[in-house]
Amino acid sequence: MNNSKIRKINNIIALVISSFTALLGLFWLVFILGDVIIHGFSAINLDLFIHDPAPPGVDQGGLRNAFIGQLLITLVGIIVGVPLGILGATFLAEYARGTLISQIISIASDIMVSVPSIVIGTFVYAIMVKPMGHFSGWAGALTLAIIMLPVVIRTTENMLNLVSWTLREAAFALGAPYYKVIFQVVYRGAATGILTGILLSVARVAGETAPLLFTSFNNTFFSVNMNQPISSLTVSVFQYAMGPYEIWHKQAWAASLIITITILLITILGRFIVKRRYGK
Amino acid sequence: MSDLLELEVKGLDFYYQNTIQALKNINLPIFQNKVTALIGPSGCGKTTLLRCFNRMHDLYPKNVYKGEIFFRGKNILSKDIDMIELRSRIGMVFQKPTPFPMSIFDNVAYGLKLRGIKDRDEMYQFVKTALIEAALWDEVEDKLNASAYDLSGGQQQRLVIARALAVDPEVLLFDEPTSALDPISTAKIEELAVTLKENITIIIVTHNMQQAARISDWTGFMMLGDLIEFDTTEKMFTNPEKKLTQDYITGRFG
Repeated sequence: MNNSKIRKINNIIALVISSFTALLGLFWLVFILGDVIIHGFSAINLDLFIHDPAPPGVDQGGLRNAFIGQLLITLVGIIVGVPLGILGATFLAEYARGTLISQIISIASDIMVSVPSIVIGTFVYAIMVKPMGHFSGWAGALTLAIIMLPVVIRTTENMLNLVSWTLREAAFALGAPYYKVIFQVVYRGAATGILTGILLSVARVAGETAPLLFTSFNNTFFSVNMNQPISSLTVSVFQYAMGPYEIWHKQAWAASLIITITILLITILGRFIVKRRYGK
Repeated sequence: MSDLLELEVKGLDFYYQNTIQALKNINLPIFQNKVTALIGPSGCGKTTLLRCFNRMHDLYPKNVYKGEIFFRGKNILSKDIDMIELRSRIGMVFQKPTPFPMSIFDNVAYGLKLRGIKDRDEMYQFVKTALIEAALWDEVEDKLNASAYDLSGGQQQRLVIARALAVDPEVLLFDEPTSALDPISTAKIEELAVTLKENITIIIVTHNMQQAARISDWTGFMMLGDLIEFDTTEKMFTNPEKKLTQDYITGRFG
């Protein structure tokens, strides 16, 4: 056998193996998504959005409290986490650029990105839920903010670093003070990248369940009081899926589908923005 | 020579990082309403010298100036200099075009806003005047709200010049402004420099010997941090005093 034949055979082997593994990976993805879509679609109805949960065993009710709760927790999480993350990244990439402290915080953020979210949940449990004596929406929001923080910091820092120094110098050369250079020129230059980072971090926290179990817990009644336990879609899915009633299972499927679609839409939006800006 | 002094460099030493000496005892006059070219091989310190005039080195830690640069009688290397005022009187144009990520109008208006001009009509007049001076008005008149990134490289460079001109500087520093441009755009920038000197003083760093010969009135030749020779461009290119200058200008090294 000559060399070119061996190469062809090797090529075929590699092709078969990689195609097979790709299919295997895709199979589970499609399987899970398909399952969620099939079960979820049939369970979605108007009641889900306009009614609160009915007493156990009653075949009615919806998840209005969970939708509102999830929205509240996530919104407050964004309001806390995003500005902190962006300003923190600004410190790292601008004021402390190149210093040891900046490098240490960057590495710490990288580690934080992959810390299991339940660890952050227990952390907030210890510093907030325990001293306050009860679960609360605030604690859930804080947890989500902490989970978002490293994602926002790292993407923003990277985006700020991508803005060329000549651009900053050009603004300085016109007499601009540093904060104006950052807010008026650098942020504009990095805007799409920063926005994408924010969207990705929102997508990241939208599906969090475990840390919320430790912080905002759940509430079977409609509540917008962030100082009390508050319901969320993910925790509801967890409890309903474990529950004994058929209607609970159906609602859990529906909630799963809605969470999945929301995350999908956020991710697509993020990609669309990047493409429009850098694609061409 | 009855030329008026715009800037005067006296015994200037400059150190990067407190240790690396990039300029050695530079003494140099810059005359009003003239174009002064700084030439020399890469790493000779010409850009370093240029960036002393608007204190650009202050952006980075541990850079040290020693000596004096007088700007209309005032030492701009002294500690109590208002950097914002200095940089509005001495503008700078960089090697690569540096439009800000905003509209053409907002780019030119940027320096004006920094100076607190708010009136919309007043702003428009300043922007228009600057764009006319930079020979760009005819090309952008009907798309002032378009992104500055939609312009060609040569147009962007003229936009950046307009931005610098808008705040009515007395001196413009050009750091190899045409090295990233095509010949036609280069010619336009050169023409512009010659026109502009009626109102302002220009210092230009260039690698292009012909460019220095075409547009400058005075030329300084630098090497390894020293100013080797400074004279009128005519003298420098026809009959320089130093052999080193002659060797460089005739292309024997570089």
